[in-house]
This record gives sequence, C-alpha cells and structure tokens, in this order.
Amino acid sequence: MSQRAEEQLKERIRSGYILESPEEMTPGYRRAIIIQLTVQADTELMSAPAYWLAARHAPSTNTQVSAHAIIQDELAHANIAYRLLEDMGVSKEKLVYGREPHEFKHPYGFDQPLDNWAELVVANGFFDRAGICLLGDVHRNTSYGPLKRALVKVDMEETFHLRHGEVWMRRLARAGGAATELLQRCVDWMFPMTIEWFGLPDDLKRHSGQLDYKLKGLTNDELRQLWMSSTVPLCEGLGLKVPAHYDEAAEEYVLDYPFPCEYDPDAKHWLFDDGEISWDAVFARWKGRGPMNERYVESVRRSRGTVSSWLN
Amino acid sequence: MIGEGVYEVFARKKRGEPLRHIGYVDAPGDELARVYAWKTYDEEKWFEMCVVPRGAVIPVNRDDGPWGRNRRGREGDG
Ligand SMILES: [Fe+2]
Ligand SMILES: [Fe+2]
Repeated sequence: MSQRAEEQLKERIRSGYILESPEEMTPGYRRAIIIQLTVQADTELMSAPAYWLAARHAPSTNTQVSAHAIIQDELAHANIAYRLLEDMGVSKEKLVYGREPHEFKHPYGFDQPLDNWAELVVANGFFDRAGICLLGDVHRNTSYGPLKRALVKVDMEETFHLRHGEVWMRRLARAGGAATELLQRCVDWMFPMTIEWFGLPDDLKRHSGQLDYKLKGLTNDELRQLWMSSTVPLCEGLGLKVPAHYDEAAEEYVLDYPFPCEYDPDAKHWLFDDGEISWDAVFARWKGRGPMNERYVESVRRSRGTVSSWLN
Repeated sequence: MIGEGVYEVFARKKRGEPLRHIGYVDAPGDELARVYAWKTYDEEKWFEMCVVPRGAVIPVNRDDGPWGRNRRGREGDG
C-alpha cells in the first residue's frame, strides 16, 4: 500500500477514527502494532516466571495466595495480547514456543532474579507501576478497538498488583532494621532498572509511528516522568532514598545519577561512578539479555513437548 | 494445545446489564473453553458468562474482522 494510504489513515486516526479489525490496517500500522503487542505480550509472559520463582519466598499462606493470584493475572494478560496478535495473522505458537530465549522482547528488568520477598514486592511497586503507566496510556489513547477493550481487565488487575507492592513496601519500611535495609537495597537496583525500561530519551528517539497511529499517547520521557511522579513521593514518604528529585524550577523530576549507565547484574549494582554510557552500549546489554533469561523462558515451556507427544 | 479453536467470551456484570463481548480464549473443546474463559476473565464477579465458538458467529452487516471471515468462508473457526 502506498505512502498516501498511510497518511490518510493517520489523518483519520487524528480525527478520532477507531480501527476494529486487522483488515482496516495499512502495512505501516500493522507493523507498528505488531511490535507494540509483542513487547506487551512478552513482558506479561516473562513477569510470570520472575514472580513465580520469587513467590517461594512468600512468608505465609495468605501471601502465597496473593503472589500466585498476580502470576495468574500476568499469564492471562500475556494470553490476551498473544490472542490479539493471532487475529493479525501472527502465530502465538511460534511466538511462545518457536523463538530463542534472547529473541523475546520484554525489558531487561525481567531477566533479573528476584531473590527474596522484598524484591518481589518492590517489583510489584515499581515494575507493575511501569506497566500501568505504559498500558494505561495505551488504554486511553489506542486507535485499535479490540486492544482498548482488552486493557480494561489488564488495568484493573495491574492496579491490584501495584497496591500489593505498596502495602508491603510500607510494612517493610515501618519495620525498620534489617527489613528496611533490605528494602533500600531493592530500591537501589530496581529504581534505575525501571527508569531505563522506558527507553531512549525523546531527543534521541527514532521515529516509530506509534504516536502518529495513536498506538500510544505519551512519549518515553513523559512516561518516565509519570512513573517518577508517583514512585518518588512514595519512596520519600517511606524514608527510602531514591536517585531522583523534583526540580521546582524545571517543574519535572531530575535524575541524580549519570543516565544511562552500566549495570552489574551479578552484584545487582549500577556503576554510577563509571559515568554515563551510550545508548548503543545499553542496547548491547539488553540484547545480550540478563542472567535469568533462559531459565525464565524454559520454565514457561518445559513440559510442552512431553505433553504434546502424549496427546498425539 | 493441539487443534485449538477460538472461543468468544461474553459476560454480564449483574442483573439488568447488557451481555458484553469481553474477550476470547483458545481451547481444544467446549468444556476447556468454559474453564479457560472463567479462569482468564476473573476480574469481575460475573452474574453470567458464556462462550461461543468463533465459527458460530454469523455477521449480519460487515464482512471484515474475525467474524467476517466466517461469512467469506475463508478459514472456518480460525
Ligand atoms: Fe500484567
Ligand atoms: Fe502486573
């Protein structure tokens, strides 16, 4: 299809047009939404094994239930996004079972081990909030009707995940002593991890069409600000240190460390002292994937072959 | 898992409200489609939920979209 068709569709979308079926998509629109939904589906899917391994650290049966309820939600969210892709002619089967672990498109944060209860609840407080910022924006703005409707459920449940994170962060912060120290260590690696998740700053961002086709409404930097506008006050209110502050004059949140910078996944430590690095170096690190990538992918599909062979 | 078909999921929040299309699941048969739908769309305490094989939905006035494919006889229940 021609460039003119793309421009016409963008024009109609600008005046509020909602697409209801894949047949209405131009090649450019289709390409952009497939990338967006693949990232969305992979992120939901990979959050499940990350949370699942961490749920072993739940301190009671009640917390086991709430942790597993979150995992169950994430798998449903993944399934919903893959199903939308399937209707666009993209094979869910191939996406879930046919790729190498490093080919999944989830953020680097979900390649990291969550080693204790505090890390799980901070993941809920930080990563799930990032999910709400990103998907809430898609929900409000997307020009694709089926996705807009699917996100009603997702947003509702993500809010529960976030609340779970916040309530537990508060409990650990109030406890003082070892609990609070551990919580601070989580914040130290997971805050910059989430900041990086939102991707390239706007002034470096290559043009992707996501905004023109109204697949989302806010830019990367706006989403990063949105995330900080609730996360920074939350942490400060709990007496936790975060490497960012509100700049009254600039009327925005400002990072207090070189961004982007290098990360040591084994030590769970950001190398602030080594200074700013290039985004190419960040992309290389993301591409190389993190320590849990293969284990997480393996854990969601290990029994596939065996069970299929029984059924054949 | 093998030979899965698409099922459309409809649900009503409470008495007096409309039955809405809320999503879809893939399932190898009606019984598992019921289970998958109930477990996947558990965000509300639904008053009523039902599943319909995609191939059974006959569009009346539109030929595009997943249901339109039934009319065009392209790929059955997808
Ligand atoms: Fe989710
Ligand atoms: Fe979540």
